[in-house]
Amino acid sequence: MRRRTFLKGIAATAASAGPLIVTDRTIAQTRTIYVNTWGGSWTAAEEAAFFKPFTDQTGIRVKTVAPVSYAKLKAQVQSGNYEWDITAITQAELLRAEREGLVEPVDWTVVKKEKLFPNAVYANGLAYCALGTNLAYRKDKFPQGGPKTWADFWDVKKFPGNRSMLNNAVRTVQFALVADGVPVDKVFPLDVDRAFRKLDQIKPHIKVWWTQGNQSQQLLRDGEVDLIVMWNARASELQQQGHPVELVWNGATITTTMWGVAKGAPNRKLAWEFLQFAVQPKPQADFANKLYYGPTNPEAFKYIPAEVSRQLPTYPENQKVAIKPDTVAEADQTAKIQERFTQWLAS
Amino acid sequence: MLPLILAALGALFLLAPILVVVPMSFSTAISFAFPPPGYWLGYYAKYFTSEEWLEPTLNSFVIAFGAMTLTMLLVVPAAFGYVRYRFRGKTLVNLLIMAPLIVPHVVSALAYYGFLGRAKLTGTLLGVMIAHGMLAVPVAFLVISATLKGFDQNLERAAMSSGAGPLRTFWYVTLPILRPGMLVGALFAFLSSFNEAVVSLFIGGRGAVTLPKKMYESIRLESDPVIAVVSTLLVSTVALGVLASLFLRRRSAHVA
Amino acid sequence: MAGELSAAAVRTEAAPRSAKGNATAWFLIAPSCLALVVLFVVPIAYVLLLSLTDPRLSIAHYQRIFTVPVYTRVMVNTFVTSLIVTALCLVMGYPIAYVMARRPGWISTLLLTVVAMSFWTGFLVRTYAWLVILGSKGPVAAAYGALGHGQAPQLLFTTFASTLGMTHILLPYMVLALYAAMRKIDASHLKAAASLGARPIAAFREVFMPLSLPGVVNGSLLVFVSCLGFFVTPVLLGTPRDMMISQLINQQIEELLAFGFASAVAVVLLVATCAVLAIYNRFAGLDRLWG
Repeated sequence: MRRRTFLKGIAATAASAGPLIVTDRTIAQTRTIYVNTWGGSWTAAEEAAFFKPFTDQTGIRVKTVAPVSYAKLKAQVQSGNYEWDITAITQAELLRAEREGLVEPVDWTVVKKEKLFPNAVYANGLAYCALGTNLAYRKDKFPQGGPKTWADFWDVKKFPGNRSMLNNAVRTVQFALVADGVPVDKVFPLDVDRAFRKLDQIKPHIKVWWTQGNQSQQLLRDGEVDLIVMWNARASELQQQGHPVELVWNGATITTTMWGVAKGAPNRKLAWEFLQFAVQPKPQADFANKLYYGPTNPEAFKYIPAEVSRQLPTYPENQKVAIKPDTVAEADQTAKIQERFTQWLAS
Repeated sequence: MLPLILAALGALFLLAPILVVVPMSFSTAISFAFPPPGYWLGYYAKYFTSEEWLEPTLNSFVIAFGAMTLTMLLVVPAAFGYVRYRFRGKTLVNLLIMAPLIVPHVVSALAYYGFLGRAKLTGTLLGVMIAHGMLAVPVAFLVISATLKGFDQNLERAAMSSGAGPLRTFWYVTLPILRPGMLVGALFAFLSSFNEAVVSLFIGGRGAVTLPKKMYESIRLESDPVIAVVSTLLVSTVALGVLASLFLRRRSAHVA
Repeated sequence: MAGELSAAAVRTEAAPRSAKGNATAWFLIAPSCLALVVLFVVPIAYVLLLSLTDPRLSIAHYQRIFTVPVYTRVMVNTFVTSLIVTALCLVMGYPIAYVMARRPGWISTLLLTVVAMSFWTGFLVRTYAWLVILGSKGPVAAAYGALGHGQAPQLLFTTFASTLGMTHILLPYMVLALYAAMRKIDASHLKAAASLGARPIAAFREVFMPLSLPGVVNGSLLVFVSCLGFFVTPVLLGTPRDMMISQLINQQIEELLAFGFASAVAVVLLVATCAVLAIYNRFAGLDRLWG
């Protein structure tokens, strides 16, 4: 009697041990793709505009893994242990990734050329949205008028207050150069030494170097800082919630975010199915209407009202005063700048 | 008088987080503002209905249970062998068993990241169980060997001299007396795995997100009070456990 | 006669067990030893190997650690911070343990409950709590405003916050170690001192404190070694300049994928920890720590 229950117990344990080792086969059988995302409001907007409609339409489940990390992409391709199939990544980073052999080439058997728009494909990724990295500040802290340029951000006497910057080497270097007087269309190639000299001036005044979008919102909303580098849609979100936040387009960087598929990702076929869906006008417009990042599909603007259009990075007036991007130059210089920045931060 | 005041201040310092975290869990605001602007149960509802929090909670329980089992299977015989027998190389064995306690967790985390990564076990429940199981060995060993040391072997000798074979003696005499100690050892192993954060961060991946890993990510990625909800639940469980153990001790003291 | 008897007793005790006994011992111990070697020692050894061979066979990583100022600063900062935290824990923990040991009854039980609860609540929960307490909209800032001092100075993301957080988390370890030692101090010693005319303060200084020294050493060791390897709290509460060794390891892995360098840093941390324990072992014997 005892022995039988004992053997049954062993069998049950062995059977339950199966799911302990999640294999790619078991995942593919349940038709799920994994998307690397930035978390918080970004993921929420993606859920509403892309994931849920896609799952409704195809039955393929979408799960997210946060936060976005270039290093993770490299690690997973090198080790073969994949955490996600698709990532949202800036154009320059995608170019870097493609050069390092980390990106899966576009699967033209799944993606139909006729369904794409001009310039949709770059470095084996599909264009996602236009993202602005701006200066934002608390209006209530500057009743006489707040900072209007990066030089103002650097001016701690005229605009006193706690400051925070994005913990990103290339962005920080770009802003430093503009603050030092470099015109927005002459920023590239980046004069790194000049940038770090300028950065040394502001370093003691930076209270915290934020890494996550929600963190930046919490810092400004709770008054931990008064001036901040912030992604434009996150600042707009705070405005919509009624907080006294002002957004500056002068000297902002406007980068194109791309969708990329990790090389050798286990669910790559399903991934390309999703991406084809995601670049259609309606989903792109839904995303932009929820989170103010500009769509890259020109048809999407049909579904976006004018007052929203004006606040997007794609609005011509905003583009005029922003830093002119140079994807190739940025991709060339990123690695070196990153290393120097990491050391500079800790010294 | 002075020591009492200092001790009270110290105790207050230790309690401060609990006094803050519990009200925060009822907060209405998506922020770190304290005192909270309003109170409701909304974020409790969010925790109990969101897969992204419930899955790590379940994972943590499963992993902790598995790790505890692995640890106990290894430690109980080892404790017997170590405490009751003399042999060469005891110091080395002792050092080996204590090694996971000596090595800083971040070093173990890095080691398991590489090791389990090559075995394709990162991001799996089994991988984390193995890592946590090994890390809990020293603590469980300390508890169980301490219990064994305090065990009066005359009881066993009495049973054997009355005619009981070694296995019957073990089952009917040794085990019941050791049971409290073994339970404590198992509990320590379970809790050490449940609370473990650093190694889980490195090797959890997406398939084996533990509750501490989710909490760490939540602090960095979100600012809604769900983390306060989780914290309150954890604190309450601990409080219940501590009070229960006190109550039991009181009762056994009375009975004795 | 007594000596002979006891010698005989010792001899029978020390008489080697039969070969069967020894085999049983090894049979019981083998599984755990084997598991520990394969599933613990081997991974650690792999880290050591990686530190010397990734990307090529060299000691370049170690050279970098000890010559590049940024990294040497991280090492020094870790040690100094650990010393400070240990000192703070000792100062704050001693009164608590003293009261727990010398005043039995409900006070002792209450303090033990508070310490136990603090101990078992994970450090993430407590770090989050400090984020709230020290935040701009937290109770400390509110108290500042209420007392009329205007806006509070920056508390979060400072060395102060991270040191405070670590002290708070490691304090229960210190208290428990001190309490364990203090409990063993016989109250009659102090009574004897009093009966010889010593005032309470003198009795404390001359009798109690020296007897509590093993607890002080144990607790300090425990806190110091734990602090060396501390990871999460300094990241969430401190500044990049306060980077400690574990944060450096994580950063090298997470952001730069520098496995070899991160491994070297990890080895340095491990060696430092072992060195501290070895010194302790030399003077006090390691089994005291867990005996």
